Amino acid sequence: MIPDLTRAVGVPRLAAISYPLSRPLGNPHDADGQRAVLRAMLEVLTKATEPDTYVELPFVWPDSPTKARNESKDVPPSPIVELVMRKPWLLANLYSGRIPQREEHRYPSCL
Amino acid sequence: MRQQESASEETHPDLLDLGARASATAGNPFASRPCARCNVSIDSYRFLDFASRQVMKAWAAREHADRIPFTPLAKPLGDCTVALLSTAAVARNDDHPFDQAHERRDPWWGDPSYRVIPLGTTESDARLYHLHIDPRFGQADLDVVLPMRRLSELAHKGVVGRAAPRHYSIMGYILEPDVLVNETAPAIAERMHADGVDAAALVPA
Repeated sequence: MIPDLTRAVGVPRLAAISYPLSRPLGNPHDADGQRAVLRAMLEVLTKATEPDTYVELPFVWPDSPTKARNESKDVPPSPIVELVMRKPWLLANLYSGRIPQREEHRYPSCL
Repeated sequence: MRQQESASEETHPDLLDLGARASATAGNPFASRPCARCNVSIDSYRFLDFASRQVMKAWAAREHADRIPFTPLAKPLGDCTVALLSTAAVARNDDHPFDQAHERRDPWWGDPSYRVIPLGTTESDARLYHLHIDPRFGQADLDVVLPMRRLSELAHKGVVGRAAPRHYSIMGYILEPDVLVNETAPAIAERMHADGVDAAALVPA
């Protein structure tokens, strides 16, 4: 998943896993794999002794990142990704935290 | 007790070696925390396309946690009631959907509300409304994002005490988390308290 982001928001304990977005527990109908991931995640509860505990779970995604991406390539990009693809300079707003508050500020050309 | 012992035997040997990690960094003046970032080897952006990667990096860069809460587990996991929270925007078919239309109009906005997902809800009773993920995997098998059946199995084996009667979902794309932090999270916590939940597992999607 995206442990960088999960950690940045400040969770008490983080079980990181190198699985693709949309499939945090594994593939559909892989009950054994899902159970192993959930169990390993819950075990972190028993071992963690302080905030910001970071543990990497040792599971390996069975396919290449390219294959995982291709499996979802017909899903349209999210609205924000679609927006920054059209207007890449808006990415700076994300970095700086200048999230536009109102529609008219966001698209001044529409006024 | 026997169940707990067998539980720890089955744990992967490479897992959770926090004690070794802490002692390895004990004499290092730069290691302020045993879980410092030098232990990070997972590439968060490995599975993302170029544009999504840029957005996720920008988002992670703007988050700063001031104070991270921590409550030690009060009893053995085998005695705990556990609840799950998925960020996949799961809503039951008889409940309100998450607001996709608003986010399409305003891509900087994300629906900060939550839904209750009772234990026993399956993929045929619910839909995923998250616009940033491929919902088909969770739609085919809800346990991919909200592993309630797997949790019940672990409860049956004694790894956890009990699966909570109610689980939860939010939508994971929220850049401005005021409502999430001040209204949604306390409301979920209150419901969990009422159900006697001892531990909550948050599952990003």
